[in-house]
Amino acid sequence: MNNYLEVTNLSKSFNSFQLHNISFTLPKGYIMGLIGPNGSGKTTTIKLILNMLARNGGEIKIMGLDNISDEQKVKSELGVVFDTNYFSDDWKVSQVEKAISVFYTNWSSKIFADMLKKFHIAPDKKVKELSKGMQMKLMIACAFSYDAKLLILDEPTSGLDPVSRDELLKILSEYIEDGEHSVLFSTHITGDLERAADYITYISYGELFFSGSKDEFIDMFRIVKGGNDELSANLSNKAVGIRTFPTGFEALVKTEHIGEFSDLSIEPATIDEIIVFTSKRGEDYE
Amino acid sequence: MNNILKAAKLDVALVKPYIKTICFTLVLPIVFAAINRSLLTGVSFAMCFIAMTTGYTFSVTEKNSMERLYGILPIKKSEMVIGRYLFVLVLGMFALVISLITQPIVLRSMGENIRVLDIVSAAIGGLFMFALYTVFQIPGYYKYGAIKGRVFMYIPVVGFLATLFLLPQIPADNPIVVTIANSPILLMLLAIVLVVVMYAVSIWFSIRIMESKEM
Repeated sequence: MNNYLEVTNLSKSFNSFQLHNISFTLPKGYIMGLIGPNGSGKTTTIKLILNMLARNGGEIKIMGLDNISDEQKVKSELGVVFDTNYFSDDWKVSQVEKAISVFYTNWSSKIFADMLKKFHIAPDKKVKELSKGMQMKLMIACAFSYDAKLLILDEPTSGLDPVSRDELLKILSEYIEDGEHSVLFSTHITGDLERAADYITYISYGELFFSGSKDEFIDMFRIVKGGNDELSANLSNKAVGIRTFPTGFEALVKTEHIGEFSDLSIEPATIDEIIVFTSKRGEDYE
Repeated sequence: MNNILKAAKLDVALVKPYIKTICFTLVLPIVFAAINRSLLTGVSFAMCFIAMTTGYTFSVTEKNSMERLYGILPIKKSEMVIGRYLFVLVLGMFALVISLITQPIVLRSMGENIRVLDIVSAAIGGLFMFALYTVFQIPGYYKYGAIKGRVFMYIPVVGFLATLFLLPQIPADNPIVVTIANSPILLMLLAIVLVVVMYAVSIWFSIRIMESKEM
């Protein structure tokens, strides 16, 4: 089995928001970043993968198994980290293991203890006494203790300081090193993607904008810069998005059209720039 | 270990920090039993109070947004629900046993004559009342959550008062009442059948609520 996650034509309707025909594939042994502006459907997609929301259409296969009909089997192979801790605040770290380990037949107390040591988490500390970064590591330690094959993280780096973010990304990179594990993580901090992701799935306002390799995504666009008098009608038509300043403009243009503007300044686009330029309705959401 | 037992064990872990509070709720009914010099009253109060604490699991879950944890565990929603009922039932049994040990001791030390039949009657009455209270509360918590569903916590109080009001209304010479009242075995069987039916219906509702609920 080469793909750990296959999402096909996934749809979900709420009163004020629709997720339309989202499809993407995460191969075994890679990290995929799920990106998009706030309210674009990243968390909804993750909750649909976890069957925490009922989908209106489409299919989700995790390690070749349907996420609903084989839910228990699928979930025993999944590790999940949310943006905030999901354990009882009053539990000690050691109680977390007692409460959770019974649900996983392959739980290893040795791995859990090793992970706590590695992450500098004291077993007798209460969950509420841990920092946000430490709570994140505790959730990861649990997932590693039953050798979760696919790790799903929802906005894991939001609210973390740069040092903790760096540590987390290092942990994720180590996790997939053996080629037997995969990671899907949603984020709007694009610096994380540039560092850790192999693949990107970009959802914009409920629609799939792109899913593929990170390099392919970045290579799809270029930034064209010039003075205000250089902004032609052709460029305005071809540009995915334009930002104007008193001194000039910046436009995001598809790489295939870039030859037409070779007399202007052309630079590679960052993931941040691609998201900003392609998000036309940012104010409408959240 | 069976998934239902695992779910019940998780509930035990949830309320562990509140064990002292739960145990304290069993002290006050001893005082009620002593004041009223009635084992039935004391046990009924104990079961009423302990039924109120069944909301703790829901409160802790809601306070810590633990529905996300339940959403990722490899266990069916129906097993989670049945596990919670099992936990509640065990909690009720614990309260019943403690009350049936402590209250007769206190009453006897006050010179009251407590017969085996009194203990059996109090056990049946207490179990029945506890079931009556919890079968309404739990689906209410599942449907509306621990905060909105808090109103269901008062069902035990209403139920207790209603029971006190309704009991004297039943004619004492009614042949069915006489037959049942004179046969502890029949009384016990009737109570057990009713408790089983009530819990079966309550569990069915709770599972339906949970299965249609999005987390």
